[in-house]
Amino acid sequence: MTLIGNRQANVYWLLVAPLLVLVLVFYAWPVLGILWLSFTDPEPGLGNYAQLFDGGSLTRILWKTFRICLVTTVISVAIGYLIAYAMTHLGRRERSWMLALVLVSFWVSVLVRAFAWLTLLSRNGLVNGALMGAGLTDEPLALVRNELGVLIGMVHYMIPYAVLPILANMQGIDQRVVSASRGLGAGALYTFARIYLPLSLPGIFAGGLLVFIISLGFYVTPVLLGGGRVLMVAEYVSVQVLVTVQWGTASMLATMLLIGVFALMLTLSRFMRIGELFGARA
Amino acid sequence: MQDKTFFKEMAIEGAKDFKAGRIDRRSFLTICVLAGVASYAVSIGDAEAAANEVVLWNWGGDAVMCHTDSMGAPFSADTGLGFRIDTSGPLQGKIKEMVDSGNVTADVADADAFDGIALGRSGHLEPIDYSIVDKAKVLDGFAWEYGVSIIFYGYAFMYDTEAFKDNPPTTWADFFDTAKYPGKRSLYKWANGAIEAALMADGVAKDDVYPCDVDRALEKIKSIKADTFFWGSGSEAQQMIVNGEVSMGMVWLNRGKNVEADTGGRYKLVMNQAIAMPGAYLVPKGNPAGRENAMKFIASCQTPERQIALFQCHGMTPSNPEAFAMIPDELKQYAVTSEENLPRVLLNDPVWWADNGGDALNRFLEAIG
Repeated sequence: MTLIGNRQANVYWLLVAPLLVLVLVFYAWPVLGILWLSFTDPEPGLGNYAQLFDGGSLTRILWKTFRICLVTTVISVAIGYLIAYAMTHLGRRERSWMLALVLVSFWVSVLVRAFAWLTLLSRNGLVNGALMGAGLTDEPLALVRNELGVLIGMVHYMIPYAVLPILANMQGIDQRVVSASRGLGAGALYTFARIYLPLSLPGIFAGGLLVFIISLGFYVTPVLLGGGRVLMVAEYVSVQVLVTVQWGTASMLATMLLIGVFALMLTLSRFMRIGELFGARA
Repeated sequence: MQDKTFFKEMAIEGAKDFKAGRIDRRSFLTICVLAGVASYAVSIGDAEAAANEVVLWNWGGDAVMCHTDSMGAPFSADTGLGFRIDTSGPLQGKIKEMVDSGNVTADVADADAFDGIALGRSGHLEPIDYSIVDKAKVLDGFAWEYGVSIIFYGYAFMYDTEAFKDNPPTTWADFFDTAKYPGKRSLYKWANGAIEAALMADGVAKDDVYPCDVDRALEKIKSIKADTFFWGSGSEAQQMIVNGEVSMGMVWLNRGKNVEADTGGRYKLVMNQAIAMPGAYLVPKGNPAGRENAMKFIASCQTPERQIALFQCHGMTPSNPEAFAMIPDELKQYAVTSEENLPRVLLNDPVWWADNGGDALNRFLEAIG
């Protein structure tokens, strides 16, 4: 990097500049418009933000969104960790196969997946049919059109997002330190807990952050799998924009969501280099 | 600026040629591309609509074919004006956004009457011109300053005849009684109809439903919340019923009619205490084809034969009293305004919904969440 002089760096900036302008015009400007709306509609002031503190439904919706996203993140990262661990320690051939399977699920549309889960998990679906046919349950379990259904759908969607950063991190871990630990007499579990797990923490954080941030904006999955009773922020914002026409409330919630994401990234940046999480190299 | 005008004119001319069959679709699109970055806006917005065309904004699905055959085609034959449908769904927020942005691309929105009242107040609509549109061709009380009812749609519930063979449910009180009629239920998740149904179930007389006691309605809904799914689209409602996820479910009337037909009557629609909703044609302020053309289109949709054709195709009840008498006997049971049904259905009060709808919906969402 040091080989590139200032002049060349300037050239690179010029090459990037159109993109930056594009982002400014088509992203930053509308976002500012939303921020403006949140302070001016229906009347100028902080009225929209005051709604957050009156203990009403908004607080509950935000809390519910946060809770669902947190549970989704923990489960997705746990499963993603296992998958990535297996992939790291398998042969090249098997690893490619597993990667292909993860990517295939990554590419299937969120809508298709939600409908597939409905078919599988509904009262007369395959899963309940199999359970009752095997005599394990007497009546159909409520697996979908509730919060459980939303969690299943979200975790399924999010697992690839957890696997990929964790896998990237694990592939960078020097296997010789594990061998050294074993060679010095540490058991398998001790080595994992004291050597491997700490080394893979950046991957866990990266995967967790990515999953949590994407989960915050989930719309289709809760709408289709929640049976109308699992209202998360994204759907609430859309109802306020389209149906009740309370744009001030909607833009306030959108602003809060954006601030929440930035705050998360800022907090994490105190512990690690955020850029590296998403593939940038210094 | 001059360039822009030039390109716009070129696109408009292109659209006229395209319509008249002088150029093919690809050439027209090429002209739109040449016309610059805003080709999408130009082609959809100014050019095509300005090329003597009325754009009806509705919800897609069967409505496209049904509205084109029953309303659009005869209108074009009468007037020589083109007809096109935009299927993106004229929700109140979308109409407001379209008018506020200054890029109005629809002439007539097939929306709810309460949207017309709310958006008329906020200055987003053209007033209906009753020298062109005929007030006498609308059921009394369903022609407003900023919107006019062409059809009624509505809500009712269906039940599984195999689950309730001997003692079929007949009222919303039965629907809300999960002890006597076990099984799951489904309601519309945007409050509409569900609030009225809950009040009637709780013993409120049909004539006293408005103004709605929202607290009372929500208490009633909460009593069956654990057994109830809430749907957001007609296909979802239909799915819940025919897949056996619920033993009774609220549906849109036209969907209910289709389900009865498709399942050979296994699932039965209960017209008693159905809630009839006036659909309303609204004209967004500054519509591209001009106010007069929009009014002409609306007036043409009042023709009894066209309303009957739409009813037969899409199950939406005519609003023109003249058309009532022309409803074929076998379909009368599905028409909210038939002699048999009119005394037993509830007619929605759009003014109450325009005044209280947003607030009621948010409280409803909180109650079911």
